[in-house]
Amino acid sequence: MSHHLSDEQYKSQKRAVWRATLILGVVTLVEIGLALMHYNDVFGMHSLPKSILSSFMIILSLLKAYFIVGEFMHIRYEMRALTLTILVPLIFLVYGVIMFMWEGSAWLALRKLWG
Amino acid sequence: MANTAVIDGKSSWSGGKRPMEASYGKLMMWYFLLSDAFTFGALLITYATLRVSAGWTEGWSQANDVFQAFPGVEALNGTPLAFVTLMTFILILSSVFVVRAVQEGHRMNQRGVAIWMFWGIIGGIAFLACQGLEWYGLIVHEGMTMSYNPFHPETGLKNAVFENGHIVKEAVSPGPKAFGNLFFLITGFHGTHVASGVLINVIIFIQTLRGVYQERGHYEMVEKVGLYWHFVDLVWVFVFLVFYLL
Repeated sequence: MSHHLSDEQYKSQKRAVWRATLILGVVTLVEIGLALMHYNDVFGMHSLPKSILSSFMIILSLLKAYFIVGEFMHIRYEMRALTLTILVPLIFLVYGVIMFMWEGSAWLALRKLWG
Repeated sequence: MANTAVIDGKSSWSGGKRPMEASYGKLMMWYFLLSDAFTFGALLITYATLRVSAGWTEGWSQANDVFQAFPGVEALNGTPLAFVTLMTFILILSSVFVVRAVQEGHRMNQRGVAIWMFWGIIGGIAFLACQGLEWYGLIVHEGMTMSYNPFHPETGLKNAVFENGHIVKEAVSPGPKAFGNLFFLITGFHGTHVASGVLINVIIFIQTLRGVYQERGHYEMVEKVGLYWHFVDLVWVFVFLVFYLL
């Protein structure tokens, strides 16, 4: 499977990877900043509610996942059918997260009710 | 004939073709990683469920209190999340180095593959060393184990018996036990993946030096192992999210 690359393709691929690296690094730093903001008065923005900070951190993590899977693992350049067979089953994980968070909150409600 | 794909006058079903234009090994690596994603997903969902049921912030140990140590650099000790930021950057860079190795493999550049694989391995070992130091600090200095968690949240002392504002009977574990337990289980499981990834990378590195892939005419093995290595980085994104950020 050696698709020998032209110099131009090679250079543009190299650039794409370093760009993805830069994005991953910056996004990680932003995430850390948001996490610390929750505990400390960073940039005087302590008032931001935790739910908004958390939503941002989840979105940013999904963005990182997109760059790792798409660019590093090269799935953006694979055949569509391959991409779908890998990504579509992950719907079950999304289902799991929703159902278990739902159930977990019900446990919390019970704990509060009964002490 | 509308639904029968014919390529070069031959049916796709007549054999000799790669399904989805990927080799057997690469396809199987992808499906292995899919199954591994479910394993990690299940572990992280378990963590999140227990945490929600205890109260996401008010009933749980706070990353800000737990991850303050910076082994080796006294000046940074007590800075929350500093050490794990370093670990995250090490793992991202290690992943990038292996991407570069794969790219050099496409150009049949033996020297390039070897050099970048070498740096990828160094990154993996550095990450493991950091994790070892982090665990050592938590276990030896803080006393966190699978069944004891010293990091209590504000309301964590609910398990203790109070009389006139004084603790009469200590809680068995000040913080939620599940935090320590799941921390060691999940980061340990991830660390095991890193360790086996380093081992496999070393094997590929040696094979590259011996010229096995040059002789074979392609560096697809580097690509397959690279997939595994990036997956380890991908899992860390989510371990990092639920344990250190949220």
